[in-house]
Amino acid sequence: MSVKYAMLGILAEKNLHGYELKSSFDEKVGEFWSLNYGQIYTTLDRLEKEDLVTHDLQTQERRPDKKIYSITRKGRAELEEWLATPVNKVRALRDEFFIKLVFMDKNDPGPILELIEKQKALYLKQMNRLTQQKVRLKKKPEGNVTLVTELLMDAGLFHAEADIKWLTLCAAKIRAESGEKSETGGYP
Amino acid sequence: MIEIMNAGKTYQQGAREVHALRDVSLSIKKGEFLSIMGPSGSGKSTLLNLIGGLDQPTSGEIFIDDRPLHGITDDELTLIRRRRIGFIFQFFNLLPILTAAENVGLPLLLEGIPFSRIKPKAVSLLEQVGLGARMEHRPEQLSGGEMQRVAIARALITDPAVLLADEPTGNLDSHTSEEIFMLLAHLNEKGQTIVMVTHDPKAAAYGTRIITLKDGILSEDISLGGANS
Repeated sequence: MSVKYAMLGILAEKNLHGYELKSSFDEKVGEFWSLNYGQIYTTLDRLEKEDLVTHDLQTQERRPDKKIYSITRKGRAELEEWLATPVNKVRALRDEFFIKLVFMDKNDPGPILELIEKQKALYLKQMNRLTQQKVRLKKKPEGNVTLVTELLMDAGLFHAEADIKWLTLCAAKIRAESGEKSETGGYP
Repeated sequence: MIEIMNAGKTYQQGAREVHALRDVSLSIKKGEFLSIMGPSGSGKSTLLNLIGGLDQPTSGEIFIDDRPLHGITDDELTLIRRRRIGFIFQFFNLLPILTAAENVGLPLLLEGIPFSRIKPKAVSLLEQVGLGARMEHRPEQLSGGEMQRVAIARALITDPAVLLADEPTGNLDSHTSEEIFMLLAHLNEKGQTIVMVTHDPKAAAYGTRIITLKDGILSEDISLGGANS
């Protein structure tokens, strides 16, 4: 779904052939999103059928012609509309950890509380790794690519932080439910 | 570099004994950036105060560079604290009548060293924390983030063995906070040992190692090096 718009966004800047498109995609968002050539070409075919992109043939000596893709007026309009529209989808609640909670024994909160602590430590470690990457990234010269990557890392950090807070609340509620005296458990 | 062996701290609160810290053993290596996490009442500030020589353990031993911080006189402790340990706090604790450069030089001014001899180092530290253009400003002319940078420079003027930070961005917005943590991370990369107390996982994540305290006991020890809980 967003692959389509990422490719329209790239073609809105410059006409490119498939191979260059993949390089540009990798450069812009490759840190957190990987695509193979198959996906690139299927998406391009689809975009062409929808009249959002078109191609010119570039003849090459002793090699097959190269398709140079460009965005159409219709494609540009659709990209602009997509860029201006906020994302309506809330993050999925179908979390694997949540499913584990559902199937754990409510009468014996010990193992659940232990699992919660382990999960929190894991998220903290993730935050640690992401933050260290960010520190390293900040040392490189700034540019559009690093800013967007940094903002995405921030998003990852905020999500992990929210998960930690949620797990802390889970533990407090499970303790209260099981009649155990509520204690301040771990970090917030 | 910092060795904490079976440290405990008990307070008397009326008729009740409060165990703020129970039998904590911890070894902090030179060049480490250690984050100490835990909710309020977990003992994290007590632990920082013990490392900083602001308080003494009721049991156990603490060494900085093989020199004991326990069982010594208050005067000896004050001397170690002044010369070997740098502090930064949530409230920046700058003197309003002094310029940024004078605030940075304050720990050495208190030792009786004339400002003319301190100034070059104060200036160089202010440049390091990105305040080269703010030398002559007084605290009221600085933003919160800038005041904390001055406080960091001040903490470094004695070349401390360890920089201790207690919720250093508790009073700053999240973008300014991030700039302060980035500065700490870069100081750490240059070799500065840092121990920071925080309840905020985003702040703690700047550490090269994170420990968690719960009810006065060490409950997690996470480091990207591999070993963890």
